[in-house]
Amino acid sequence: MERLSYEEKGVFLQTLHTGVVLVYLGVLCVLALLFSHPLYLTGIFILGALAVIVSEAVEKWEMYLRMGIWMALLIMIINPLVFRTGKTVLWHGPTVPVLGKLDICLEAICYGAAMGIRLLAVLTVFCLYNAVVHPDKILSLFARYAYKSALVVSLATRMLPAVARDLANAREVQQLRGVDYGSGSLRERVRKHSWLLNIVLSSSLERALQVAEAMQARAFGTGPRSCYRRELRRPRDLLCFTAGILALLFSLLAKFKGYGDYTYYPQMGKLVESSSSVIWLGIILISLSLPVVLSWGWKHCPYLRSKI
Amino acid sequence: MSLFKIQNLTYYYPDRERPALKNINLHVEEGELLLIVGGSGSGKSTLARVLAGLIPDFYGGKIGGRVFFEGRELSEDGRRALSTQAGIVFQDPEKQLVMTAVEAEIAFGLENLGLPQQEMFRRVAEVMSFLNLSPLKNEFTANLSGGQKQKVALASVLVMQPRVLILDEPTSQLDPAAADEFFYLIERLNKEMGYTVVLIEQRLERCFHLADRLVVMERGEILREGPVGEVARWEVENALPFLPPVARFFAFLHAPFIPLTVKEGRRELKKFLPVSPARPPDAGRRASENNNPGPFPLLTMPKGQVKQERAVVEIKNVWFTYPNGREALKGINCRVEKGEFVVIMGENAAGKTTLLKQIVGLLKPGRGSVVVMEKDTRTVSLAELARDVGYLAQNPDDHLFQDTVEKELLFTLNNLSLADDGVIDAVLDKLSIVQHRDANPRDLSSGERQRVALAAVLVARPQLLVLDEPTRGIDYRLKKELGAFLKELAEEGLTVMVVTHDVEFAAEYAGRVIMMFDGMLVCDGPKDRVLGTSMFYAPQMARLFKDFAGGVLTVKEGLAKIRSNGDAKKCLSVNADC
Repeated sequence: MERLSYEEKGVFLQTLHTGVVLVYLGVLCVLALLFSHPLYLTGIFILGALAVIVSEAVEKWEMYLRMGIWMALLIMIINPLVFRTGKTVLWHGPTVPVLGKLDICLEAICYGAAMGIRLLAVLTVFCLYNAVVHPDKILSLFARYAYKSALVVSLATRMLPAVARDLANAREVQQLRGVDYGSGSLRERVRKHSWLLNIVLSSSLERALQVAEAMQARAFGTGPRSCYRRELRRPRDLLCFTAGILALLFSLLAKFKGYGDYTYYPQMGKLVESSSSVIWLGIILISLSLPVVLSWGWKHCPYLRSKI
Repeated sequence: MSLFKIQNLTYYYPDRERPALKNINLHVEEGELLLIVGGSGSGKSTLARVLAGLIPDFYGGKIGGRVFFEGRELSEDGRRALSTQAGIVFQDPEKQLVMTAVEAEIAFGLENLGLPQQEMFRRVAEVMSFLNLSPLKNEFTANLSGGQKQKVALASVLVMQPRVLILDEPTSQLDPAAADEFFYLIERLNKEMGYTVVLIEQRLERCFHLADRLVVMERGEILREGPVGEVARWEVENALPFLPPVARFFAFLHAPFIPLTVKEGRRELKKFLPVSPARPPDAGRRASENNNPGPFPLLTMPKGQVKQERAVVEIKNVWFTYPNGREALKGINCRVEKGEFVVIMGENAAGKTTLLKQIVGLLKPGRGSVVVMEKDTRTVSLAELARDVGYLAQNPDDHLFQDTVEKELLFTLNNLSLADDGVIDAVLDKLSIVQHRDANPRDLSSGERQRVALAAVLVARPQLLVLDEPTRGIDYRLKKELGAFLKELAEEGLTVMVVTHDVEFAAEYAGRVIMMFDGMLVCDGPKDRVLGTSMFYAPQMARLFKDFAGGVLTVKEGLAKIRSNGDAKKCLSVNADC
């Protein structure tokens, strides 16, 4: 809890305008939910992974993946047990109460796998959000519209590590006064922990009062306030914003034309129905990959860096 | 015209019968640095809050008298105007930061003033450059060190361009290096930028020389104000402790000029003591007495201590690595005997607190062993260890949650299945808090809270008392009381171990000093040998007497040295006793 997820690494996506990053990540997330075609989902997932790599957030991503892969596997296992409308039965199982006959179909496994990839893609987007979006910038973005709510979020975020530290310290001190938190009945343990809560609550209230005093000393609530906007707009913001919007438009168009969907039940359709499907996917991925390509170029090409 | 002028100010906090400020008359001149000293509860912080406009606006209560800013009564100004007249930096940096990131924090006050974008940009940029905060501008405030946080707090006040800067014990939570850096900034702000500064501080050895005028407060009243040297002399005559050692020493000597820094003091001392640059006279004698080869014995035990049979603490080749991979202790060997008063010193992250936690059993060694009262911390439970070891945390509030002081003490006894055989009365009496027996500990002053927490520890009659930074944020008088009390406990046979940054405290009260660096024990021995020969950890008096005489760590020892020197005695009056 001491360390918030965001770390300033000076990578390309961290230098983008917060609004642009939100649009880009939003588009990635929407597309992962919009399409059901395994190729489209895999493409979006790979693109997200590339964005993670260029943002030097692989370590964080591994933590998300560790959790995500288990969930994806769970979907792959549960889905065939629940949906048995597929035609390609791989294994005829016994009849069990509630679920009925356990026939495992290829289609259900594949659908489960596709949903697993969708889940991983969405988790990747969340990981990217944590890695490249500074929470304060999000707050200042929304502060103009909901300033009090933004301030409450900020104060709470500041308070969390302090409360965690108070709790750890108080626990240690009480242990050395003979309190054994591991022994006793459930009721006794709850009682022992309630003492900790008492200490932390008292300290937090005192801290809240002092923070309020510091805020008053800095003219808080003395009248209309302005909003400190620190974000710059550069050509890279326009490029990435356009890329995100174009990707969304192309995707909607592709969806409207029937690409990006896939028939799993009762029998799986062809993976590549027509070349147009692949071309549309290519166009969408090219649009989406612009920030990744720019990120690579920004890091390795000083000329490009100076121009965007 | 004075910048601030206070006339007959009296103030009562809500529901209090005793005034926090009583008949205060004071003026603050443009460009001066006014240092306010006094014990806890003397009204210093309350006065600072009056100047900052927080009293009575934020606190309520009853107020009498008048406060003027540039001839205009303060109560006539709106809050927005007040915040640009005087800016205040509080004690604890943790409790005055609002936003999560540095730049946003600095801009917060400007947003509240409703300044235009361009003006905010300019001011934030200037302040960040001046305080060298630019590399941290996107950093989370939670990830900063204490010193950096306090610098951010100073920046967020400076950015509002107040006429007067009020600093309420701004370095009390900082380590010495961070405190020095902070004072350097204050000196620059005062001398180069012309800022008027009202400074309330306990670390007088670091800031006394910066002051133009000194104000001494007690029980809500101003006892004396005036030029620093004059007030210092008056303080010594009236047995007040709020003086750094060098000034105290020369005031005791009735010297015509009171030096405020070691440099000035050495210049004065040279007039009546001969310099012996080759070697401090006592150093050779002491070394030969102890049969010790040099001043900094690496990883060796002082002779004469090993012969005792049973150690209270025995640490053998202890290594410890935190789960995040940081190796915090590297091959520590140490033995502490019954009745010793040991101080552990060292820079931040040197491993002091980790060593302390190993001793009290909160952490277990990765390799090696820690044996406390013949109990191996690896095999014995914390509850069992707690019978012999008392631990006082840095923040006494971590101990206190019962409704009354008595219940707080009973809580420890009940947990350890001990009976009250009159020990509660004895401990309360010994710590002079018997009158607060039925009070809620959280309602007491910070010094009293610390004594209640200490009582709650001592009531179990521990054999070993371990204290983490007990002098942080407490005033000279409380520090003196605490030091004398711990020394008395050690003389009664209790073993006392203290982690502190406070060199003067170690010099005055400890028997033995252990220095740590980078997880290793670099020096261990009697205090005069460790501190007296140290370059940077030497107390003021040792630095003052360096090359003049050895073995001087305290004012008392300095005066004794002068008394023993015939020539110097003739030049000065040294009849006074400290």
